[in-house]
Amino acid sequence: MLLSSIWQYVLAGVVVGAIYALVAAGFVLIYQVTGIINFAQGEFTMIGAMTAASLAAAGMPLPLAALLAVLAAAVVGALCYLLAIRPAAKATGVTLIFITLGLDVAIRGAGLFVWGTNPLSLNAFSSGTAITIFGGVLPPQAPWVLATDLVVFAGLYLFFRHTYAGTAVRAAVANPPIASTFGIPLRAFAFWSFVVAAAIGGLGGVVIAPIQSPTFDMGLNLGLAGFVAAVLGGLDSLPGALLGGFVLGIVENVAGGLLSTGWEEGIGFLILVIVLVLRPQGLLGRAARRA
Amino acid sequence: MLLRSTAYGRIGVLLLLVVAVAAWLLPPYYTGLIALVGLYSLVTIGLNLFMGYAGQVSLGQAAFFGIGAYGSAVLATRYGVSPWIGTIVGAILAAVVAYALSFVALRLRENLLALATLALGIVIGVVFSQWDYLGGTSGIKGIPGFALGPHLFGLRDYAVLAFAVLAIGVWFAGNLVRSSFGRALIAVSAGELGAQALGVDAERLRRQTFVLSAVYAGVAGGIYASYQSYIDPTQFGFLLSVQFVLMSVIGGIRSLWGAVIGAAVVVALGQVLQAVVPLVLPSARGDFQQFFLGIILVAMLILLPRGIAGRLAEGRA
Repeated sequence: MLLSSIWQYVLAGVVVGAIYALVAAGFVLIYQVTGIINFAQGEFTMIGAMTAASLAAAGMPLPLAALLAVLAAAVVGALCYLLAIRPAAKATGVTLIFITLGLDVAIRGAGLFVWGTNPLSLNAFSSGTAITIFGGVLPPQAPWVLATDLVVFAGLYLFFRHTYAGTAVRAAVANPPIASTFGIPLRAFAFWSFVVAAAIGGLGGVVIAPIQSPTFDMGLNLGLAGFVAAVLGGLDSLPGALLGGFVLGIVENVAGGLLSTGWEEGIGFLILVIVLVLRPQGLLGRAARRA
Repeated sequence: MLLRSTAYGRIGVLLLLVVAVAAWLLPPYYTGLIALVGLYSLVTIGLNLFMGYAGQVSLGQAAFFGIGAYGSAVLATRYGVSPWIGTIVGAILAAVVAYALSFVALRLRENLLALATLALGIVIGVVFSQWDYLGGTSGIKGIPGFALGPHLFGLRDYAVLAFAVLAIGVWFAGNLVRSSFGRALIAVSAGELGAQALGVDAERLRRQTFVLSAVYAGVAGGIYASYQSYIDPTQFGFLLSVQFVLMSVIGGIRSLWGAVIGAAVVVALGQVLQAVVPLVLPSARGDFQQFFLGIILVAMLILLPRGIAGRLAEGRA
């Protein structure tokens, strides 16, 4: 009895963890390229979810609504970089932390203005009954969520390993000054890291919208969870983001299910604190780039 | 520059006198706001010591404010302890928690320290909302107010109390910053290795400053609980921590009087926004101020990274 309910929590954790992994991938991308921890990352997911849900509710076909939602998130990501990060290029680490913190709060506030406080809803992408695995149940949306993870992470892997541009980005990450002398455009990479991270976050928002009725303030908790996942996996490791996302999703759900859901949020952060103390470079990360 | 002496002290005494007079002349609603400015300033001074002088970062200061408030409120409502003593106990409690957490948090720097303090702030917030002893999500109601003998405190008294405590806080912090302790702090924030080479125990110094910042927040929180007469977990959330950072940044992160400027600006801004925004956008509801707080935080950091007090000091230099 207990075992079957734990299994159910694990399955639920896998679905949530897949979204955490997408948010974490955005953190890792931006951190690797710019060295900035982007506190606003969760808000890109909120924008994706809210845009898709509101456009679909207005009668737009789902694929178009999803595309526009991802575009909207990408545009916000571009604006964040151009209006707030680029002008502060010379700022120190703490100032940049505060700037992305300000962006986080501002975007959430903008979401409140645009969409109000009521949760929106979006139908599952495919109708059908829940999927049963060994007696545990997955919602019909789950395959879409997992497929999105597969596509995004496979895409990132192919880009970094098998394209010229991807290799250039890796060079820029490994040694910015030397990469720069070889004509690698560091600023352009920083810009695109924000755009792509925002688009990935937005996509995560679109696919989670049918499971979690999106609200204007969903970005804070999702962003923080994505953070924990990224730190857990290793801030400089994309495979780490994937692993960290699933581990966090599962642990949070199992522990939350066994204790009480109210403590669930706290568990994630407790994990974060433990990881930061015992293994600050994360499960798959190399030694911390900056102490 | 940093070791400026008496001029600020005189300005400070003048400011306190102005506030004391204003508290008697203004309608009670405004004196209540003045009290709030005083309490927030106190938290921000502690934060400035930790962030501006010691060069660290804390995104969880609202938690210490909350610990002070809950400590005092629980003692007063459950055990009938006077808020005067409750506030002191609440501050000690905040200090103890900060001391314990410092072993975890202060091993980290910059990005990861920001993350860890943010996470710890949220974990403490979860404890507030999930621990039935603390009233859970509905919080604690009917917290007794301060009293001097038979005289129960009104909003005016709270304004004076807040600024009196603030004056002590500024005086203490001002002396601290000018002492060898303060010079060692600045040395650590400028370059830890260099400071250590000169015999400064950087880790100990950071820990002491962190604990001190928690004491400032705890004292303010203890007074806040009685001033407000009810508290619940939503009052001590992430948004309040962001507001403390904003106050610190607006006033000038490495300035003591800047904290008062920052707190006053943020409180005034909140009032203006609450009055103006619904006129322009009648549908606006909820915490819509956060949009403006975020924009202002970003704009300040880009345009005026040393804050208003920092800017004034530059102008004079």
